[in-house]
Amino acid sequence: MRLKSDLPAALKYQAVIVEGAARAAGLDFFEVVFELLDARDVNGVAAYGGFPVRHPSWRFGMEYERLEKGRQWGLSKIYELVINNDPTYAYLVRSNSLLEQKLVMAHVYGHADFFKHNLWFAPTERKMLDRMGDHSVRVRRVIDAVGLEAVERHLDRCLSLDTLIDPYLPLREHAHPPETKSPYTPPSERALRSLEALSSTPLESEPGPDPAPRPPSRRLPTYDVLGYLEEHAPLEAWQRELLHVVRSEAYYFVPQRMTKIMNEGWASFWHSRLLTGGLLEPAEVLDFADCHSAATYAPPGQANPYKLGIELYRHAEARGEELFRLRRVHNDVSLIHKLVDEPFSEQFLRPIFAGRRAGQAEAPPPSWQDLKSLLLQEISWGGLPQVELADVGAEGKGELNLVHHHDGRDLALDRARETLRNLAALWGKPVHLSTRVDKEERRLLCEEGEVRMVDTHEGLVERAKPKSKHDPRPEERRAG
Amino acid sequence: MFRIEADRARFREIVRGRVRSDLRRYLSTGELIGRAGDQAVSIPLPQIELPRFVFGENRKGGGEGQAGAGEEGGAQAAEGEGALGAGSEPGQHILEVEVDLDELAQMLGDELELPNIQPRGARELLGESGRYSGLRRHGPDSLRHFRRSFKNALKRTIASGLYDPEDPRVVPAREDFRFRMRKPCPEPDSSAVVFHMMDVSGSMGREQKEIVRIKAFWIDTWLRSQYESLEVVYIVHDAVARVVDPHTFFHLRESGGTKISSAYELCLRQIQERYRPEDWNIYPFHYSDGDNWSARDTELCVSMLRDEILPRVNQFCYGQVKSAHGSGQFKKDLDGSLGHEETLVTSTINDRSDIPEAIRAFLGKGR
Repeated sequence: MRLKSDLPAALKYQAVIVEGAARAAGLDFFEVVFELLDARDVNGVAAYGGFPVRHPSWRFGMEYERLEKGRQWGLSKIYELVINNDPTYAYLVRSNSLLEQKLVMAHVYGHADFFKHNLWFAPTERKMLDRMGDHSVRVRRVIDAVGLEAVERHLDRCLSLDTLIDPYLPLREHAHPPETKSPYTPPSERALRSLEALSSTPLESEPGPDPAPRPPSRRLPTYDVLGYLEEHAPLEAWQRELLHVVRSEAYYFVPQRMTKIMNEGWASFWHSRLLTGGLLEPAEVLDFADCHSAATYAPPGQANPYKLGIELYRHAEARGEELFRLRRVHNDVSLIHKLVDEPFSEQFLRPIFAGRRAGQAEAPPPSWQDLKSLLLQEISWGGLPQVELADVGAEGKGELNLVHHHDGRDLALDRARETLRNLAALWGKPVHLSTRVDKEERRLLCEEGEVRMVDTHEGLVERAKPKSKHDPRPEERRAG
Repeated sequence: MFRIEADRARFREIVRGRVRSDLRRYLSTGELIGRAGDQAVSIPLPQIELPRFVFGENRKGGGEGQAGAGEEGGAQAAEGEGALGAGSEPGQHILEVEVDLDELAQMLGDELELPNIQPRGARELLGESGRYSGLRRHGPDSLRHFRRSFKNALKRTIASGLYDPEDPRVVPAREDFRFRMRKPCPEPDSSAVVFHMMDVSGSMGREQKEIVRIKAFWIDTWLRSQYESLEVVYIVHDAVARVVDPHTFFHLRESGGTKISSAYELCLRQIQERYRPEDWNIYPFHYSDGDNWSARDTELCVSMLRDEILPRVNQFCYGQVKSAHGSGQFKKDLDGSLGHEETLVTSTINDRSDIPEAIRAFLGKGR
């Protein structure tokens, strides 16, 4: 797909009007470029996470297939799509009515302001459109060199680990830039490296001319498992390059996971305010109400980030908070922590959790603080289990020790096993994951492609002893 | 949207690979039956998913999670659909994969190494139908080709210098007229009819019928890929035979004696009345547990096959499904007296795992 940036005159006119209103209201954003696309093409772009070009992967095809089915069967429809980039790109669906386009535009300016000013987005790559294109070229080049199958297998492994990053790392590094040179090397050098990556023989584990730009050395323990792997795993040059691609895309998307409620809330708050503040024609009011309430509808038992977010800002406004400051410094967790009080919790959180305890009829209903902590728990750490790389035995040559910081919620064990297997395949040596299963401390050990559940201390003690490769390890283990 | 189409094609390839590797399983279970439409069969597969560390079932709060929506599509928003959908809990997605029936047949063909059906020389008759694609100088007014006639008249007028742009009158003469002409076009011989005949006497149990059902599905799938149009006639018989609809065929359970000749007789009558061998490729399949009423009836069957049915059909297949009560005598009798006939194929099916082999036996000759 090629971006054209050509809007029909009627829409261009609206865009100018809405942008003027947004700026007058105090929103500030990079230039916003609207693209008008057919619903099918929007699904294509959506499957790529909003980008017109991504590296080749069957996963995008699967997502596209899913979105297309949803569209064809009339189950779901994407209204708008906006990406964090400078200039900010947003997509309008051709089949939408003029009112819907106005609403989407106002919504997009809200997002664009949020992207530019929210603290958590500050460290993100603002030329991501170009970078994604660059990634696509790099992956394609590697495919040409080593073949699709090998690349696919490796990419799938890396992607299966792409949640093992530290969401707070980019901001820390942003605030205290490491002394080394900028994490991104200029393109010319990158191009050289890519060439080198393709011509060189497998590098084994020797670091050699490392193709990846080196972020500052990570100190253990770290949540940035991907970063650690990128630095220390015994990978071939092209494998390291793909891992780098996956990691940098994961870090790009992480603030969006952390601010989903705030971001959607901010955009909804402003589309509502701007449109009802003078942009609507009298004849459009009903349609607007219809459209807006569909977007912010929260069925009982489900949380809708649009709804939750917009209510948070309205609540804050009623309390006399400075909205622009809130959107600048918070993420979902800290905003909810700050703003949710008893009336808010009773009104908006109780319906979300109502019915979830249907099984336990006798249990007393949760207090408003309980509801708040339930919500906070569900969204903390991006809604994912906190898995940390605790230590590595013997100077990067040992076995990886991961710790799942258990908060009452067990891991899905079948998928955890598969994930560990992928991790062990990249690391090339056994990998341990300490977690809790049914309230008991357990450890998953992945060794030579096999994942076993072992007792907590078994093996760890053993590792202290020197051992040779020919040790009959299972026996020894049983004895120990 | 070129790039995403490439990714989609790759995804479909992966999915087809899965279907293909599971084909043996599908061959001996009835899973795909009833999922088949006219063009495609929709196959449920577990969502292909990258494993990640996620929370399992025993959440503290119970119920479903709401966070983490929209993976890397973080910036996207499906308004009106509640994008932070609690319903998008991973791991429960079922992927409905549409596979064209043709493609499924191709997979079947690859798996069982089935040859394509060779056209039978004598059957390559030219069809009588034609299209009005030609022109001629004479014909009825109703077939007059106005545009061509006018063009000719115009050409003649201009050539003879009578044409006046100021007064562009064209008067057609007799020789200008053109009429549409019907051109016969050869119609490839591409219709086939399948007769599925099943013994529904008391000895055929549920399992036996299920085997028949699975077999019939795959046979139809294959033949459908080989012919442009396929008609299927279902016949059930115990002591008498009748034509039934598919539902009845697959669900009926009768009891009583078995007179196989009744089915053959009905099949033959259908062929004579509706499916002339000159126009149709004919595939009768007969499934039974091998018990016939009497040796005399078996004799009647054999002579009917030899004299009447076999000369008219592409291939006659007899599948003997093993049942607890069946003697299996009928197959022996057929093999004994007609074993030399090329167009007769018999096979024995002991249980479901024999289905692929039986299909291969029936369709492996390429007739």
